[in-house]
Amino acid sequence: MESRKSLIKIKPKKYKTGEVVKVSFMIMHPMETGMRKDKKSGKIIPADYVNEVKFFFDGKPFTTLKVWESVSTNPVFTVGFKVPGKGALKVTYKTNTGETGETTKKVKPKG
Amino acid sequence: MKRRTFLQTVGLAAAAGAVVTPSIAFAADKPKGPNEMGIDAALKAVTGGQKITPSEKVHLKAPEIAENGAVVPVTVEVDSPMTPDDYVKAIHVFATKNSNVRTADVMLTPANGIAMFATRIKLGSTQEVLVVAETSKGEFLSASQSIKVTIGGCG
Repeated sequence: MESRKSLIKIKPKKYKTGEVVKVSFMIMHPMETGMRKDKKSGKIIPADYVNEVKFFFDGKPFTTLKVWESVSTNPVFTVGFKVPGKGALKVTYKTNTGETGETTKKVKPKG
Repeated sequence: MKRRTFLQTVGLAAAAGAVVTPSIAFAADKPKGPNEMGIDAALKAVTGGQKITPSEKVHLKAPEIAENGAVVPVTVEVDSPMTPDDYVKAIHVFATKNSNVRTADVMLTPANGIAMFATRIKLGSTQEVLVVAETSKGEFLSASQSIKVTIGGCG
């Protein structure tokens, strides 16, 4: 199964339990609008874009994004996150073409 | 469909397409996106017709001039305690002149700690970006900013 490159970043890299950090989810995706024409064939390139992103901590969802084709290619989405303690972040995504995927990152507070 | 809306959406589909791929010349039949929606319809869908109030609590950070209309950074922050009885439950970001004005809806919870969202969007032309924050108390607060997009031309 083809796997699209995606990753989760936490800023700052060092944080404590109770601190609010910024979590970014980045994914390599064309975010095709469905309004562009292929130069050679003249045919419309079909819409192909990430339309949903969900953030989970230890299996519990805490943020859901509904996304449309106006978001830039290779999108980045950043939200806040209050660190509850040690655990696992997971981000899942879906596209309008039915593609799905997920990525994870451990949350390791110092103190 | 109202004539004004029809003309707006046809024109905007062309403009949006032109910025996304400046090298493609536009033929007589301008491609329309599959998700066309104007700002009035989008706001009604989000608020159910309820009042939207511009508020200083909603901070929208975006460039006044977009160097590249395909990648315009937008950051929204809303002043909120983000406690279970008082938090921002959604942030909606609209590109008011794109053929589909919706870019992202962000459903937040107190676990976020702060009401904040950042991403990069495509703008088909110079336009206002409008953000609407929905609070757990049922208020709709907004902020907007005009962004100039220079289309076509190298450099």
